[in-house]
Amino acid sequence: MSVPTPRRHLFKATAVLASVGLLAACGSTGAGTQGGGDAGGGIASEIKLKGIYDTTGPVAYAGVGASKGAQLAMEEIEEQGFLGEDVSISLEEVDTAGEIERASSEFSRAVADPGVAAIFGPVAGQQAATVAPMAEQSKVPTIFNQAGSEGVVIGDYTFRGTAPMGTYYDIAAEHLEKEGLTDVAVIYNGTYPTFAEIGQEIFPELAEKHGLNITSSQAVQSNTQDFTSQAQAIAQDKPDAVVMLLIAPQSVTALTQLSQAGYDGQVMATSVQAAGNVAQAGEHAAGLMYPVDFSAAQDGELAVDFVKGFEEKYGETPDAYAAEGYDSMWWLARGIKASGDSSREGIRAGLQQVAAEGFEGVMGDLTFEGNDMRVSGVLVEWDGTDEKLVTQ
Amino acid sequence: MQELLNTLTLGSIYLLFALGMALAWSTIGILNFAHGAIFVFSAFSAHFISDFVPLSMPAIILISVLVGATLSALTQWLAFEPILKRSKNHRSAELRILIGGIGVAAIPIALVDWATASAPFGFANSSYSTQVYEIMGLRITNTSLIVIIAGVGIAVGLTLWLRRSRQGLGLRAIGVDSETASLMGVNRTVMAIGTMAIAGGLAGLAGALQVFQLQAMGVETGDQLLIKAFAMIVLGGLGSMAGVILGAFVLAGAESLIFAANMGTWVDAVSFGLIFLVLLVRPQGIFGRQEVRRT
Amino acid sequence: MIDWYTANSVVIQATMTTLLLALSIQLPLRMGVFSFAGVGCFGIGGYTAAIAFTKFGMGTWTAVAFGTVLAGVLCYLLGLLVHKLTGLYLGMATIAFALIVSVVATNGGSLTGGASGLFGALGGITNLHVFLLLAVVIIGLAISEAGRFGRKIDTVREDPELAVALGINVTRYRKLTFLASGLIGGLAGAVTTLLRSTITPAEVNFHLVVVALTVIIIGGSSSWLGAFIGAVFITWLPTVLSFVAEWEPIIYGFVVALAAIFLPGGILGLVKDLRHRRGARRGSTPPPEEGAAAPPDDEPHAPEPSRTPVPSQGGAL
Repeated sequence: MSVPTPRRHLFKATAVLASVGLLAACGSTGAGTQGGGDAGGGIASEIKLKGIYDTTGPVAYAGVGASKGAQLAMEEIEEQGFLGEDVSISLEEVDTAGEIERASSEFSRAVADPGVAAIFGPVAGQQAATVAPMAEQSKVPTIFNQAGSEGVVIGDYTFRGTAPMGTYYDIAAEHLEKEGLTDVAVIYNGTYPTFAEIGQEIFPELAEKHGLNITSSQAVQSNTQDFTSQAQAIAQDKPDAVVMLLIAPQSVTALTQLSQAGYDGQVMATSVQAAGNVAQAGEHAAGLMYPVDFSAAQDGELAVDFVKGFEEKYGETPDAYAAEGYDSMWWLARGIKASGDSSREGIRAGLQQVAAEGFEGVMGDLTFEGNDMRVSGVLVEWDGTDEKLVTQ
Repeated sequence: MQELLNTLTLGSIYLLFALGMALAWSTIGILNFAHGAIFVFSAFSAHFISDFVPLSMPAIILISVLVGATLSALTQWLAFEPILKRSKNHRSAELRILIGGIGVAAIPIALVDWATASAPFGFANSSYSTQVYEIMGLRITNTSLIVIIAGVGIAVGLTLWLRRSRQGLGLRAIGVDSETASLMGVNRTVMAIGTMAIAGGLAGLAGALQVFQLQAMGVETGDQLLIKAFAMIVLGGLGSMAGVILGAFVLAGAESLIFAANMGTWVDAVSFGLIFLVLLVRPQGIFGRQEVRRT
Repeated sequence: MIDWYTANSVVIQATMTTLLLALSIQLPLRMGVFSFAGVGCFGIGGYTAAIAFTKFGMGTWTAVAFGTVLAGVLCYLLGLLVHKLTGLYLGMATIAFALIVSVVATNGGSLTGGASGLFGALGGITNLHVFLLLAVVIIGLAISEAGRFGRKIDTVREDPELAVALGINVTRYRKLTFLASGLIGGLAGAVTTLLRSTITPAEVNFHLVVVALTVIIIGGSSSWLGAFIGAVFITWLPTVLSFVAEWEPIIYGFVVALAAIFLPGGILGLVKDLRHRRGARRGSTPPPEEGAAAPPDDEPHAPEPSRTPVPSQGGAL
């Protein structure tokens, strides 16, 4: 977004006043040194983590996925003795059930517990943005997955283990350029933050960079259900490709109605279509492409091992949320190892050290912009029943 | 012309959803806020069964209608009737019926949400397939035709039945004055549960047809339509079935125009702004009558 | 006690802000005005405060004051437009107002942050501040419920014609209720936003109407005390129910439905009823039926006299 977060006021306010009253005062006393139980640095034999995200409710799929990935990583870390032979990690999870107040209340409980060394934060953008200032204020390192909005990674103690969709959408534009699909129609959900941002700002910039010509750009709302007229308008224009930035049920309808209106060009969508969310569109979705930060079809060595390990443990193919959770947990472990200190302060320093160097995860080469993860992403194609990699 | 046809289809989808709600409201005075949940749950039930056995369109619709009717009748019997019995008058019951409906709605929605993990569901396994026809340059699918015929047909049929038939008269009598009506030999409870069953069946029909038309449904669809349906009912005038028909097409028309002007993110503001203005000019809605006041 | 408070301070905070929102809807209902404008004002107050705080560098309390006053003024103007509407027509018009606020916020460009909303608006509000503000609002409302003034308001709700005959300026009362409701709603929005540090357009929607109504109906609609009980109930229920994990939404639905069915006057009505009966049983004057036949009037009434009476079951459960 073009709105810069006015950090000046934020920090002024947090410095002068305890945002959550007595709570914050209690939460922050001594928290910095007691984390992990071993005050003088060093890696404690038991590292206690807290996971505060949705495991029920409308975005449960993201929380549950991240949790499964993180659990798998924890098992591997302990098995390998990555942090030392007798070091164990425990992750206690609480469900925020889609509620902001629940997230901030659980978060405040977690920071008040000096035993909690680090927190995995909420997956929903607004919950994350609400607890982020609390993390900064009480100096508890917090890693967020998903939560792609602004106001989440706001200082030294807030980290994000998911690259926002807009940061790797360039591979979509690149592909369109390479295939010579230069006339592009855009249809996007203007009330859904991630899509509004890509549709209004990121994609137009990318289009310019890659010599694409946006023939039309139509915004809809989250509660728009019928796309007949939009689809017909696009079919009449016959652009080379359509960039479709819609939420899951909308995408199924729009794809179907595009094909019913007689449009047969390339449709470029988003990672929302992953995990079989377009299966209901049947043959209308065949040939659909979308960039993702992780696909189980990826062929890197780490990715293949991860998919195998995940399938053994859970009996299902991992989705991107699981990969993000997995890589985030490894980020944390590497951080602790790098600083050799499992206190809150040590974890913060370690996470930043690892971020500065980058590392290889199941999502490929991970780089960081400050505390915020970046991936190159992969472009995949849905053939009607399965995802496969589009060779670049 | 194509735009008109599209608007007609969209309006018919809205109308199908709103009809059941309007029927219950205009006759027995129940504003059922669980209508959206019943709509989603019926369609989901049909999806659930059709995942095991490939079903034809009529079979899917039948399942959806039956589930909707059962749920709605149960809601009336177990929630709304007890609320009415425990209230001094209908007016004081109104708010509690609203809240009761919201509470009831949470249950099927939570079940669907849990079962689908919030992913959209549809009838991909059904034997029905959509055909596209091109007549005189107009594109229309067989599903749209069914939706339009069902929507407009049932709406007109219901309106006439309420106006002309004996049962319709009885029902309307309950709406106006339930005490006198029962003195005249109208069995209120039975009539009310029957009406709610029909309303629920309509929700089920709407749910199934919407999935056929749009190919998928999200669990939040019911809530989104609920507020639109409420707007249509109020816009047309509370208690008037003809008003609902008009309300549905006015809303669909307004939305189509806004999309045509490529102001997609202003849809709610313009359509609800329109409703706001209509209410300022006609405080009883377009077809509302001043004398029957049950608000 | 301190530990308990620390662990639950955010829930306590949420209880207070939920109560503020509910009060902004309850006040017009007590006046027989079926207005949900408080929800739109929640959005106006929240956005105004966040913009004032983050874009113009105002202090916390100036921002809150701005949000509150602007919401109050806009709500009063809305009231001038729609005060002639009644019942669900008014409900619909005011819901439309709330949805329009949300759409304007979505399309407000960099001022409102578009669909992503505003972030980083963490004001310096503590629980004590919220408590004091709430106390001021409640004292005001308690005055409006007591004595002559309270009876006047009851008359405006129950029988506007009678009220006019008694020399009460009903129209003025109704317009002023919009102002008061807007101020409370705006305050609720401003405080909630500066506590959470964020506000998004998706928040200002029908869901808030549902929350406010549920609080009022479950707690009791006749008095601020009912809204208080309802706010405590609704805010703490999920915490209490969290052990049932994924069954929680289902149980929540059941509890809300059961409360709507079995508690005609809300929890407050139930408590009053029980007290009344105990008083009757202690053997003083009133015969037992009286407690059942004349329960405290806990439901708001639209101004029209009732036309569809259902045989009274009294307050018996």
